[in-house]
Amino acid sequence: MSDTISEIKSGGEASLAKKYSQLLARQGILVAFVLFLVVFSIFSDRFLSTDNFMTVIRQASIIGTIAIGVTIVVIGGNLDLSVGSLLSFCTVLVVDLHDKIGPTGAIGLMLVFALLIGAINGYLIGYLKLNSLIVTLGMLSAIQGITLIYTGGQNVDIQNQEGTWFAFFGRGYLWGIAVPVLIFLGLALIAEFVLKATTYGRKVFSVGGNPAAAVFSGLRRNRMVFSTYLLSAFTTACAAIILGSRVMGSQNNVGQGYELLVLAGVILGGTSLLGGSGSITRTIIGVLILSFIQNGLLLLGYPYYAQWLVTWAVIILAVWLDIASTRGKIFTSFS
Amino acid sequence: MKKALKTTSFAILGSALMAGPAAADMKIGITQNNVGVDSYQTTYEKAFKEAASKTDGLETVVLDAGGDVARQIAQMQDLIQQQVDAIIIWPTNGQAVVPVVRQAHQAGIPVIITNSNIADAGQEFIAAFSGPNNITQGEYSAEMMCEALDGKGQIVQISGQPGYTTAIQRQQGFEQRLAEACPGVEIMETQPGDWNREKAQRVMENFLTKYDKIDGVYAGDDNMGVGALNAAKAAGRAGDIAFIGATNFAVGYEAMERGEYYGSVYQSPVDDAEAALQTAIDVINGKEVPKLNYFDTPKITQSNMSEFDKPVF
Repeated sequence: MSDTISEIKSGGEASLAKKYSQLLARQGILVAFVLFLVVFSIFSDRFLSTDNFMTVIRQASIIGTIAIGVTIVVIGGNLDLSVGSLLSFCTVLVVDLHDKIGPTGAIGLMLVFALLIGAINGYLIGYLKLNSLIVTLGMLSAIQGITLIYTGGQNVDIQNQEGTWFAFFGRGYLWGIAVPVLIFLGLALIAEFVLKATTYGRKVFSVGGNPAAAVFSGLRRNRMVFSTYLLSAFTTACAAIILGSRVMGSQNNVGQGYELLVLAGVILGGTSLLGGSGSITRTIIGVLILSFIQNGLLLLGYPYYAQWLVTWAVIILAVWLDIASTRGKIFTSFS
Repeated sequence: MKKALKTTSFAILGSALMAGPAAADMKIGITQNNVGVDSYQTTYEKAFKEAASKTDGLETVVLDAGGDVARQIAQMQDLIQQQVDAIIIWPTNGQAVVPVVRQAHQAGIPVIITNSNIADAGQEFIAAFSGPNNITQGEYSAEMMCEALDGKGQIVQISGQPGYTTAIQRQQGFEQRLAEACPGVEIMETQPGDWNREKAQRVMENFLTKYDKIDGVYAGDDNMGVGALNAAKAAGRAGDIAFIGATNFAVGYEAMERGEYYGSVYQSPVDDAEAALQTAIDVINGKEVPKLNYFDTPKITQSNMSEFDKPVF
């Protein structure tokens, strides 16, 4: 969407230099990403290795998997801040049920509950047309409350950690690649295909980009919005399976703060919070940047607060570049 | 400790009989930090209520601030209004509660701080502090690390959430004691794990990438220690590394049973709760109590773990 706008703006007679700078602005996030990789590789001999890259992508897979669903919600013109505590809830549920009814039943039942919560979000926002920020923010604390009631404040753990096939999702390898990475990238591939190549995907874009026009052209906005929340609940549930299997236990606030990390990744990828534009591929780049920054700074031996500062600076820079690319100027005039 | 509790309960029983039947002759209010958010605090509350119900002539008002400073201040004010005989507070924030602690002090109600102390500015307004000594705990962990590595090696540290007194003090105690008792062991790097097992696991993965040789890991609690252990096991390097934690959790205890985890510091929320209640009762009864009441938090290692019950959290 933003691509189209800047193309129209730049028109035919734009100078080469202008086109070049706009390309830079449009692909700024990619440029920044490459720049980061180069700088980190120069200063740390450990950074540029297949092992380290695989580690970082595996670490990014939990946030990334959630971000897939949230990107779709955001493209549809809404927000989902409930994913942090939904992740806690799903992880606690799947880990706790694992020892009670076995892995198959645990995963199945957890998915049912996750989709149920997604459906509540979707109903309130899609059909009752309540503000998504308020609904999902409320849901964030409501689900945390449910989690605390469910666990009674106790941590849950899987007893037989070596002998369960549940370990496959978080710790296993397939064709030499970590399973969390395969789940993450596999879901991303499917989601990108659905968004870009199916009618459903085009409907999500139009509902988010111009709700009124979408409704007038016969799209059922309520149903579309509802479905996006089911998707974000589903990807969050998948992330919970990875997390639970990786840790083989769960604290009841394990997902605390994830909603903002996910949103940061989505914004960094350039998906507009106003809806109607964005892509899964770019969200993945956004999430990977966040993950690489943390890994790189740690390998260089910077203290943890450097990670917070740099992450924040990168997000601001990304948003700025995004705005600059849509208005065609880096700075705005003071009028 | 248990004996002391019994003696006092008899004393209270005696005074209750003298004061006449039915009416409770002391009322203690407690406002806790955030029950339900972790197993330690949940077990603490249960133990506190249990100990209180076993004490005759004692009425308690048990409140929880849900981690919210403003709510805790309001709860303190409520307790002052109710004119309880003593207030126990588990501070949500050691700095922000100082004014309301002063308010209680001025109203003539003794305040007992439990688990983690408040800022220095508030010390003159409190009757006593009761809780674990986190500096000592850090020192114990340093001693165990030294023992595990025979005084020589390179280690990494995974600390608790930045800004938490417990995290800061454990780190302090660990680093100071290690430097003086074990100069041959070097801390290569410290990063926070935020009391979160998954985060600690991620941090440890990065450490394993960065350092080819890691002899030991000190984690600010067992939850993070087990996260680090998970990462090392996945990398096939757990056998070369000594893992030492603090606040022994059930998962840490089990890892010790399997011989994968060297040791930890045993801190029972039940002892914590009983000590706080006892201190409050002593204060009300006009007994001389020291300002700082630390309950015992012994070292637990693979060799002496049979003396301890498996933690319930």
